[in-house]
Amino acid sequence: MKLIETDVLVIGAGPAGSSTAKYAAQNGAKVILMDKKSEIGAPKRCAEGVSKEGLKKLGIEPNSRWVTKELSGVRLVSPNGTDVWLNDDQVKLPEAGYILERKVFDKFMAMDAARAGATIMIKTLARGMRKDNNGYIVSCENMGEDFEIKAKIVVGADGPESRVGRWGGLKTVIKPKNMESGIQFEMAGVEMEDPGCIEFYFGSVAPGGYAWIFPKGDDIANVGLGIVNTVTDKSAYQHLLEFVEKCPATQNAQAVELNIGGDPVGGMVKELVEDNVMIVGDAAGHVNPLTGGGIITALEAGKYAGEVAAQAIKEGDCSKKRLKEYEKICKTEIGDSFHKYFKTKEYMLSLSDEELDSIADAFKDYEFEKISTSELVKLLIKVSPKALLKLGKLF
Amino acid sequence: MIVNEWCMYCGECAGVCPRALIEVRETSLIFNEEGCKDCGICVSVCPINALDKEE
Ligand SMILES: Cc1cc2nc3c(=O)[nH]c(=O)nc-3n(C[C@H](O)[C@H](O)[C@H](O)COP(=O)(O)OP(=O)(O)OC[C@H]3O[C@@H](n4cnc5c(N)ncnc54)[C@H](O)[C@@H]3O)c2cc1C
Ligand code: SF4
Ligand code: SF4
Repeated sequence: MKLIETDVLVIGAGPAGSSTAKYAAQNGAKVILMDKKSEIGAPKRCAEGVSKEGLKKLGIEPNSRWVTKELSGVRLVSPNGTDVWLNDDQVKLPEAGYILERKVFDKFMAMDAARAGATIMIKTLARGMRKDNNGYIVSCENMGEDFEIKAKIVVGADGPESRVGRWGGLKTVIKPKNMESGIQFEMAGVEMEDPGCIEFYFGSVAPGGYAWIFPKGDDIANVGLGIVNTVTDKSAYQHLLEFVEKCPATQNAQAVELNIGGDPVGGMVKELVEDNVMIVGDAAGHVNPLTGGGIITALEAGKYAGEVAAQAIKEGDCSKKRLKEYEKICKTEIGDSFHKYFKTKEYMLSLSDEELDSIADAFKDYEFEKISTSELVKLLIKVSPKALLKLGKLF
Repeated sequence: MIVNEWCMYCGECAGVCPRALIEVRETSLIFNEEGCKDCGICVSVCPINALDKEE
């Protein structure tokens, strides 16, 4: 059987994999980036929201080919329709900056990896791997042909499926209660109150998660929701149909695309490395537990992973001990902040529809620029005393 | 496992299978039935009910 040798093999060319491949190649490693898809980025499993600061921090210049909409604010909607508006300059919300065209964006990121020197293999599936004295041998398949790749470091960037990590001995299985079941229509004819704002809908519309409308310019928007199937008997699809039927914004809207996918929202996986193995992106739980957003964190973690991998190759030491550096960086830069988001989510999900309505009512006319986060939390505790218990220590 | 034809190969079922038995290909799913414990977790997470247990 054909055997190809490389320093670093990255499995999965989503944002996490492309970023890893780019930085590993840029720093001198010989890199292969593979994806089973025939078109990188499609079909999307995403609502396509990213923060401006996130892209900026990574030095990615917004490009008109993949930015569909720049946002100016956020509208939060409670179950009875009471809304709270937040402007861009008042609050920094993680996924509120641009709405992307991910089919184009993901390809752009992969092209960047190619320009940095990575070899890309599309329509190539990794099927399993076995340990070799100095790395792993990965079984691959392309257009009916079986072959093998021998790599000193294998990077699992395979998204929510997260099987590569498990082949390498890491505990990446996602518990059903931590897997947000996402579903979305891309629709035309959406009538939003302000098409410059993204909208979030809370409560029993989406048990265990929330529903969203993310505008993509003109009358186009991603209309979707995430649920946790352990707290509802209906499928995500049924919930979406009900949401679209009732939501005022979608009364005259038509779907032109259906997207589905799992979003691991349980927080970062504890161990991200083993001897000759690293995991990154959704596969490593690099997803904000509150918002479910994982594009920026996947890119960011990919940068750290690529840099550490290239350095380890240079030093000729790809042991777990050496690769731990990556895990440490991820903990401080990404994992630690997740704790706060996780707690906030637990609190949000503990609220009944009535409680959500009364909170929205208390906040609806508030001028947010005039108050600090701690005052905000004080007001919240007044309307919802259990906020003290769940959030008091965090802010 | 019965994979209905409306499956969209999103891979959510593969992520929650405790034994990593589900291979998600671009347009097909392969179950390693031998190791399957019939726990049904994959069936219940699917956003579009595309999986059915074999009777
Ligand atoms: C409905 C929904 C809405 C979302 N909305 C947002 C949002 O608005 N903003 C945001 O920031 N995030 C959002 N997310 C999360 C975001 O999509 C992910 O966090 C992000 O895509 C993670 O990137 P990744 O590179 O880790 O994985 P992915 O983008 O999933 O890429 C993994 C890649 O690996 C490939 N692959 C898997 N297994 C193999 C194999 N064995 N061999 C070869 N290739 C393989 C796959 O084909 C895929 O291309 C959403 C998720 C869902 C489900
Ligand atoms: S979760 Fe459902 S739609 Fe997605 S791959 Fe599995 S069976 Fe198919
Ligand atoms: S029934 Fe359980 S063990 Fe079998 S494939 Fe599904 S999740 Fe895996």
